[in-house]
Amino acid sequence: MNESYNDQKRKWDEDVEKTIQRFPERKESFTTSSGIPVKRLYEPDHGDVKYINEIGFPGTYPYTRGIQPTMYRSRHWTMRQYAGFGSAKETNERFKYLLQQGQTGLSVAFDLPTQIGYDSDDPMAEGEVGKVGVAIDTLEDMEQLFDQIPLDQVSTSMTINAPASILLAMYIAVGEKQGVAKEKLTGTIQNDILKEYIARGTYIFPPESSMRIITDIFSYCQENLPKFNTISISGYHIREAGATAVQEVAFTIANGMAYVDAAIEAGLEVDQFAPRLAFFFNAHNQFFEEAAKYRAARRMWAKIMKEKYKAENPKSWKMRFHTQTGGSTLTAQQPDNNIVRVTVQALAAILGGTQSLHTNSRDEALALPTEDSARIALRTQQILAHESGVSETVDPLAGSYYVESLTDEIEQQANEYLDKINDLGGAVKAVEAGFMQREIHQTAYDTQKDIEKKEEIIVGVNEFTIDEEVEPELLRVDEELENNQIASTRQARETRDQERVSAVLRELKQAAVTNEKLMPIIVKAVKEYATVGEIANVLREEFGEYTAM
Amino acid sequence: MEPIRVLIAKPGLDGHDRGALIIAQGLRDAGMEVIYTGLRQSPQQIAQAAIQEDVDVVGLSSLSGAHKTLFPKVVEALEANDASDIPVIGGGVIPTEDIPFLEQKGVKKIFTSGTAMSETAMFIKELVRGEEATPPKKVSHIGIAVQHLEEVLPFYQHTLGLPLETVETVEEEKVKVAFFPVGDTRIELLEPLDADSPIQKFIDSKGVGIHHVALDVEDIDERIAHLKEKGVRMIHETPKQGAHDSRIAFLHPKSGHGVLYELCEEKKER
Repeated sequence: MNESYNDQKRKWDEDVEKTIQRFPERKESFTTSSGIPVKRLYEPDHGDVKYINEIGFPGTYPYTRGIQPTMYRSRHWTMRQYAGFGSAKETNERFKYLLQQGQTGLSVAFDLPTQIGYDSDDPMAEGEVGKVGVAIDTLEDMEQLFDQIPLDQVSTSMTINAPASILLAMYIAVGEKQGVAKEKLTGTIQNDILKEYIARGTYIFPPESSMRIITDIFSYCQENLPKFNTISISGYHIREAGATAVQEVAFTIANGMAYVDAAIEAGLEVDQFAPRLAFFFNAHNQFFEEAAKYRAARRMWAKIMKEKYKAENPKSWKMRFHTQTGGSTLTAQQPDNNIVRVTVQALAAILGGTQSLHTNSRDEALALPTEDSARIALRTQQILAHESGVSETVDPLAGSYYVESLTDEIEQQANEYLDKINDLGGAVKAVEAGFMQREIHQTAYDTQKDIEKKEEIIVGVNEFTIDEEVEPELLRVDEELENNQIASTRQARETRDQERVSAVLRELKQAAVTNEKLMPIIVKAVKEYATVGEIANVLREEFGEYTAM
Repeated sequence: MEPIRVLIAKPGLDGHDRGALIIAQGLRDAGMEVIYTGLRQSPQQIAQAAIQEDVDVVGLSSLSGAHKTLFPKVVEALEANDASDIPVIGGGVIPTEDIPFLEQKGVKKIFTSGTAMSETAMFIKELVRGEEATPPKKVSHIGIAVQHLEEVLPFYQHTLGLPLETVETVEEEKVKVAFFPVGDTRIELLEPLDADSPIQKFIDSKGVGIHHVALDVEDIDERIAHLKEKGVRMIHETPKQGAHDSRIAFLHPKSGHGVLYELCEEKKER
């Protein structure tokens, strides 16, 4: 048997010992229903060169089999359901409900005006306040949002990009009011602007200024929020816009490399910021391809960080990622069928080794989820975690001829895309040239034609249809909410110290012009109850606004 | 004839434009000229673009739940600019219960998730040109349910004196069929192969006799889209294979006022 295989195995054994001291396994022993013992890991009889170099042991470079030595034997993935609608008060109630139901992390959905840096009373916000997420204008709203939720005991993910610095600043300020030091805060801001230009649409500033804001956040967090994920580099929305699995991996990694390049350019050390980079992927329908996709992405990132960027800290090599099941796979027709789709997709994410997971609700092709639907979605994860037995051994799909071959193939095809993007001058240039956007649109259009020709079957849509007259009970956002939110924001503007607000906004403007650090001033501004729109507008004036071609 | 001009617009702050981009390309492929506004357009901007580009119809897409506010505002903005002759249609994530409200506010039609591009294209053509789908050309055949073919064949062959064209078994439908040409149409006799055959079920409930009327159509996809547009319930929403390589689809008898109609597109010689 190969010497280095035995070395690797020994190293893994040591890693396991260390890991289970900190995170004991969930059970003393794992067995199947028939009493067959389930080992922590199943491995080849003889590790060949391919196994050692390309697959390896879990928790070991290149992390094809997962980033931890024991994976879900010690701790299940974090069950993190994205939620938010209407007012901060309503969303706070939904958060507390989800935590009561056994959810283990929070994930905030903001409404579109907040995501694009408009206050609720801005004319651009009309009709959108509180619709796709919670409306946040001032620190007061943020205090309400986390009322009675201790920030030192929960990790919070925030889907916020262009104004990520503002919402992060508010989170810090709420923590402070609760008596939680910022060093103790855990969570993630999405902060991934490149995929906004490509697929999601909530950009504000042009790419260059956006990249500056992002590296500014990296640098601030490195010093002040060491446990916070500074970015969640997202393939999710790229996939939703129509991309294939390969395109999702390729474009996400290309964007990730652009952030690493920008941070290095800004003078940061790769091993200082890279361990706080996180990723976010989709879980789509084709089960094996999806499971292989996560394995391929993890291996690619490890190689890139080690070989290209010469990172030395193993934490810089590890791709940690959140997964959400594919929203665009949900059908408005026969919505209960979506529960089954979500189950299969979630299973692929788990077998692909995700660190956290959001399962979509059955009614999301029609509206935001009702409480009942949101509970079923969470229960789906709990059933997979506690009843299915799939989390009792690490990376059970490893060694499957099909899955390993798909993993290799996805890596190879994604690398071809990375070469193309590199030839175009990197992800920022490729985005500006519309390269990714065009590739994704072509795939989306071809998919639509296949569906209309029934070359692709969507159950309940182009086959197995029934007459449906009754629409399920849907969640409606109160139409009065917009007016109430506008009133409370205007009230907040009147009760604060206007002179201090103006002063800090002037200071921010100055910093924006002179290339100073922005984050500390933004933290100061939100504490004076400057609004999201006011802060964003200062930066708009300096940086300008991006318009797509 | 000048091509139909369409403005596809994204009102409000919603960034999901997969649907808008797909429908824009789908309508282009259907021969229309399509202008896409891009994201974040105010109702006023959309109305101005529609007038400047001299479009025949405006298509709005929203997935953010703001449709009840924004769609009517586009209609109002067109009216305020003396352009109420430009019809507005919409799509996206829109609950069925909101559709009557939007229609009452002047939106001509809402297409919900799962609508085929051809259906939207057909609607726009009719809306703009008042074009109806090409009407059926003739009666392709009349289907008659019989219990035993051999018992009735002599009546058709000898008493009526019709020539027997073919007898075939369609296992899939569990029927045996016999065709008699009459002028440029046919009589089709259908015999059930077993008790599960749809024909047997028909006979059990209604007795032997006329089962369906088949209409010959030029373009079955267009015709189905058109009928669905008119609120007709289809048994087959997409065509399936019929005898002699034809493509067929049945209308629901409730929509046919008690008559089971079949659409039939004969194999085209190309």
